[in-house]
Amino acid sequence: MKRLITLVVNKKACEIAVEPNRTVAQVLREDLGLLGTKIGCGMGDCGACTVLLDGRPVNSCLVLAVQVNGREIETIEGVSNGKDLHPVQKAFVEHGAIQCGFCTPGMVLSAKTLLEKNSSPSEPEIRKALSGNLCRCTGYQKIVEAVRQAAEMMKK
Amino acid sequence: MHLLPRFDYYEPRDVAEACKLLSQFKASAKVIAGGTDILVNMKKGLIAPEYLVGIGKIPGISEIEPVDGGVSIGSNLIIEKLVEFDLIKKKFAMLSKAASVLGSPLVRNRATIGGNIVNARPAADLPPALIAMGARVKLKSRRQEREISLDRFFKGPGVTVIRPGEVLTQIVIDGPPPFTGGDYIKLMHRRSLEIAIVAVASRITLDGPDGIVTDAKIILSSVAPRAVHAVRAEKALIGEKPTEKLFEHAAKIASNECRPIDDIRGSARYRCDMVEVLAKRTLRGAFVEAREQ
Amino acid sequence: MNKYSIINTRLPRVDARAKATGAARYTDDLSMTGMLYGALLQSPVAHARIKNIDTSRAKKLPGVKDVATAQEAGAVRFGVSPARYDETIFCIDKVRYIGDEIAAVAAESLESALEAASMIDVEYEELPAVLDPFEAIREGAQVIHSDYPNNIGAEVHQEFGNVEEAFKTCDYIRTDKFVNKKQDGAFLEPQACLAVYDPDEGLTLHSSTQAPHYVQRTLAMVLGLPIGKVRVVKPYVGGGFGPKASASTLELTACLMAMRTGRPVKMTFTREQVFWHSRARHQFFHELTTGVKKDGTLVALKNTCYLDGGAYSSFGIATVYYAGSLLGAPYKLPNMKYDGYRVYTNKPANGAQRGHGGVAARAAWEQQLDVIAQELGMDPIEFRLRNIMQRGDVTCNDFNMSSLGMKECLEAVRDGSQWEKKKGKLPRGKGIGVACGFFVSGAGFPIYRSETFHSTAMVKLSEDGGTVNLYTPAAEIGQGSDTILTQIAAEALGVRYGDVKIASGDTDFGVDLGAYSSRQTLMSGHAVKQAAEEAKRQVLEVLSEQLGIQADEMDIRDGLVLFKGDGVDFSALRSNYIKEHRGWTDPPTGDRLTFVEAARMAYLARGTIVGRGAYKPGELGGKYKGAAVGTSPAYGCSAQVVEVTVDMETGQVTVDRMTDAHDCGFAINRTNVEGQMQGSLSMGLGEALFEEIKFDGKGRVANPTLGEYRIPTCLDMPNVETIIIESDEPNGPFGAKEVGEGAIMPTIPAILNAVYDATGVRISELPVTSERVFNALKAKKQQ
Repeated sequence: MKRLITLVVNKKACEIAVEPNRTVAQVLREDLGLLGTKIGCGMGDCGACTVLLDGRPVNSCLVLAVQVNGREIETIEGVSNGKDLHPVQKAFVEHGAIQCGFCTPGMVLSAKTLLEKNSSPSEPEIRKALSGNLCRCTGYQKIVEAVRQAAEMMKK
Repeated sequence: MHLLPRFDYYEPRDVAEACKLLSQFKASAKVIAGGTDILVNMKKGLIAPEYLVGIGKIPGISEIEPVDGGVSIGSNLIIEKLVEFDLIKKKFAMLSKAASVLGSPLVRNRATIGGNIVNARPAADLPPALIAMGARVKLKSRRQEREISLDRFFKGPGVTVIRPGEVLTQIVIDGPPPFTGGDYIKLMHRRSLEIAIVAVASRITLDGPDGIVTDAKIILSSVAPRAVHAVRAEKALIGEKPTEKLFEHAAKIASNECRPIDDIRGSARYRCDMVEVLAKRTLRGAFVEAREQ
Repeated sequence: MNKYSIINTRLPRVDARAKATGAARYTDDLSMTGMLYGALLQSPVAHARIKNIDTSRAKKLPGVKDVATAQEAGAVRFGVSPARYDETIFCIDKVRYIGDEIAAVAAESLESALEAASMIDVEYEELPAVLDPFEAIREGAQVIHSDYPNNIGAEVHQEFGNVEEAFKTCDYIRTDKFVNKKQDGAFLEPQACLAVYDPDEGLTLHSSTQAPHYVQRTLAMVLGLPIGKVRVVKPYVGGGFGPKASASTLELTACLMAMRTGRPVKMTFTREQVFWHSRARHQFFHELTTGVKKDGTLVALKNTCYLDGGAYSSFGIATVYYAGSLLGAPYKLPNMKYDGYRVYTNKPANGAQRGHGGVAARAAWEQQLDVIAQELGMDPIEFRLRNIMQRGDVTCNDFNMSSLGMKECLEAVRDGSQWEKKKGKLPRGKGIGVACGFFVSGAGFPIYRSETFHSTAMVKLSEDGGTVNLYTPAAEIGQGSDTILTQIAAEALGVRYGDVKIASGDTDFGVDLGAYSSRQTLMSGHAVKQAAEEAKRQVLEVLSEQLGIQADEMDIRDGLVLFKGDGVDFSALRSNYIKEHRGWTDPPTGDRLTFVEAARMAYLARGTIVGRGAYKPGELGGKYKGAAVGTSPAYGCSAQVVEVTVDMETGQVTVDRMTDAHDCGFAINRTNVEGQMQGSLSMGLGEALFEEIKFDGKGRVANPTLGEYRIPTCLDMPNVETIIIESDEPNGPFGAKEVGEGAIMPTIPAILNAVYDATGVRISELPVTSERVFNALKAKKQQ
């Protein structure tokens, strides 16, 4: 039986009727058209579906939509402020941190959360924060460098 | 895309309502907290409960509270908070360390301490550290509440003493006695997103900074259907002066005590050999911490 | 002033913004009104005869619009190489691996489609499953394909020089065996496709593919449509690395059901299905015998290799050739003999993956070379330098190293890693290792025999002169070809980077063989360069007519027209442009004639200005059988030094530092070149330390998840010191050649050699797990 849930997605309140067996990733993609959330494995192994749940990065493929009733979600679409990229996005673009791009939304969200908690993370701290987001293309180096660059940008 | 099978979902407002639902639905219901384990098993088609009872909205089971020098941890507390909280980091460092190597940051933000316990996976990260620290769990049902030692909680893979209609609500750990230290080491293929090949949690108590061992726990994980004590190795430590040689001796005993199996992550032989290495290293770590206390 | 404005820079990728904001659309993000969802029924047994298929229950399920089996799909065979077409859309008489496709359903929802697929009843007569390649070639083994009664799908026998005679002249000869494990591409985007059929327009397939052109040809052939009525469009692709380089049953099924129902059909693999479908790195069993002189001169190599092919050929016929032909170079080796056998087994088919066919061979040989250097008392780098090939050298199998910065690479990593301070001087448990490698820069021949161009391109100038449309069928799969081709177009035409608008990956734009064999920078790059130059020539011709100046007295750069002579009066031209653009807000100013003005004049004079480009390689070496696999217009090469720490008690290997030098001829985009290098090393590190597809006793993939199939996380991959070497390739556009695959070649052996340096044990079986190292250490202790 469908349940009516209310939640805040990218600072906007929404009300949706969902079957209990649908995940947050499915509802974001299929009901809300937020296709920046990617499904790479569906099993919580890759991090491509990362969204922020009340400010914490989680695998949205392993969260039921009914579980987020009354809670707040931020997706990659909520990160940039309209025209202007968030410093993390800007650094990813400028620093070559993006190749195929499939991990990028998740990486950006994990990185942004880190920098909001820790304005000058060390390299091990950056790597630890990103260690649930797999990337097969970059070897991670330019992603790590971009996060460091973003930290500098955010301090200014 | 893997779809979840259909089920009905309930979200009780308190523990009593949860217990009522669970005793009503019995085996056809499962509790869902963080969901990082159960949803994977459901997507893989390993289980298909008719009802999921979400405990996420129940007040009072997601907190960390100091109690009489020890701590009481709500079962619905996410793992990452065990890494973040100063109280855990300072007083129960071994638990914080075990929490920090569980899954990945994304999993730790969702998975709960209770879930990591009740799923009773042979390689689960928190039970070895919790058992070493003498943790107890509170189980609530509609009529009663019981508290049992985690040592007696696990029966085998996926099987615990939890009865239908019971909910794990709190994990209680007493404050460590003076001159007590612990360590947890997990041997992994990669450095994240891993299940242990072997893990060992050790805790020792000394009767003074340069004293003898008065209490010892060596918990071996991923070498048996559940986390087990290296009983003889523990005994070998007690009453002895802690030395490198003693640790090596105990570690060797521990290695001979376990009966692991071959599986996709490693062979039985290697696991035994690694128990020796990790037991020695965790005892060393525990000793260093114990002297500092 | 720099020679170039746009290339050899660090411009950001053209698609970076779209990808950073989540706006980039991949295939599974697409949907259409009336779209159906497809699901496959795949075999649960590794080898069986199909006795009966009953779809009646599935057809009755509400929401089901089509159920297709071989009866509906027909028996047209396809595959990768026409010489080895051994697949049909659905199994006809037999299933050959767990995951083999038997039937499919299209329904109103994915849930219904999956349910219906599970309601198709198949009766099997189980046959013994042949899971081990050496069992498969034993006399009396169960036959997997009746055309190949000994289960050997392809074999290769080549000899260059005379190996046996040459061995007689050697001072030292040694034989070693080496084996890797079956790998997975582990790209993050599972394969997906969306098929749309319109009786008038024909078939359009949106697909997560590396090779739209090959998919187009396969769809046309199997589904019986004219090629012109089949269009394949590639949205953004989330990585490929090889397995997405050929047409698949997923794509064919979606098209078939779209044609049968008249409705769009979308199909997406689960991660588990990605592992089943596979088509990734083979398992190779190499035996290498190398002979040298006392002074370190390499004399001869004998290479025997058995490949576990899995149930179908896929790219395997090329793989079995590459496993031989990619040795020898980058060293001067006069004698080489190769015997290769690709064996069918009842496991998922293996195909191509980054460093196609050569990675295991390279690992085996570079480790053996290290042993030989040690036996001869030579430093491994000195030994390699002694034999190194240089620009202009030709291998014994006729590969022409028209450029080769191999020596420069090796010297760069030696110096960059401070090799001399470290080699032989590190404490126990710490080690340093080196290796070299090379790779083709584009396969010299298409997969099907043809005189076809390998790449075509079109450049069209907008009527206002402000925008350059670049149309290329080349495939951007994450490697950055859209960026590289945009840069090449802008440089060749003389406009700014932002003036070029690229559209790619669409078979309606022409022919491009796709993203495989590290070919697009060189081949698509040539076509794009030519197209841009042709457009530029037309603009200059019109200018020449209007200004009365010879075309070769002018040039275009950075969006401005340059005149060799002074005092050129273009005021009439400018007023004409301004008159034309009355009401527009951006009249050109300044004392320079702009490209925009010139392009507008060209349009007014000639209509739409279109430049065309087409490339195919010139005459390549090698007249022997199999010469088509490995000959290339150019070869990239690289050297790497890796430093490791080995936990001597657990056997765990940590890669601490990597120094990599790659000769890409000329870096069109320096950031992208580094990105390819770092990504290659990361994949190599994964293959060296963790990656292995495991099977249970019945042939089922035992670890079809990204949890148990381990690619490196960011805690496993160290930083790489990346050194770009530019040798200026005469056959490449602006001197450019490959980087995408060659960079993985030295990684595994450099790690192996470093592990040896740290521990004194040689590991000849991948992956180098802690357990494997531990066991080797234990065995050594017991000796």
